[in-house]
Amino acid sequence: MLIRSVRFGEIEVPEDSQIHFPHGLPGFPKEREFAYLPSAPDNPFAFLQSLAEPNLTFIVVDPFAFFQDYKFTLDDQLVSELGLTDANPPHIISIVSVPANSEEMTANLLAPVIINTQSRIAIQMVLEKTPYTTRHRLFPNGFDKQPGKGGK
Amino acid sequence: MLALTRKVGERLVIDDNIIITIVDTKGENIRLAIEAPKEIKIYRGELYDAIVAENKQAATPAQDGILDVLKDIKARKP
Repeated sequence: MLIRSVRFGEIEVPEDSQIHFPHGLPGFPKEREFAYLPSAPDNPFAFLQSLAEPNLTFIVVDPFAFFQDYKFTLDDQLVSELGLTDANPPHIISIVSVPANSEEMTANLLAPVIINTQSRIAIQMVLEKTPYTTRHRLFPNGFDKQPGKGGK
Repeated sequence: MLALTRKVGERLVIDDNIIITIVDTKGENIRLAIEAPKEIKIYRGELYDAIVAENKQAATPAQDGILDVLKDIKARKP
């Protein structure tokens, strides 16, 4: 389908990139339909573009690309509601906040987004009893330390 | 808003399928047991507020150049 995005303009989104959030997201309870838009190959970032609101785009990241030790338990209710199985493991992403200085961007590890990639249904879950917070810096030393990207 | 006074062991029934039981009180702390259908999400208020605030922060458009910044980032090798 053709969707409008303030950030990307008019883009064609294939059906298999559309994700349904039955509960919306905390703070956006009515936003239930999003498109998952990867960035470049090998790039851990992607975008969640609301299908209803052109001006609502979340930057998301593969948390495991930055936090190799990140782990948590999916509770049984969530597993059953999403219909996850051993043969159909979830795709997990974290929502990124980018302040004025983009080097200080943070990932929300307290509330990961869990996606069933087959049914394309997703829920942003809130972890309980966890050391993680809503703001973990992705580049604690700034961009210069990133492999493949020289300093300016 | 409805405000009710309950005793330990008493319950509230909401909409035929949500039951909140007052389990115990100890000083300032009140322990509740909540039975609800699994599609009903239950959060601690302050935790929920933090996620709402963070999502709203994340949704505010960052500066224009952010797409170019992200484009150049490659996945780290584990």
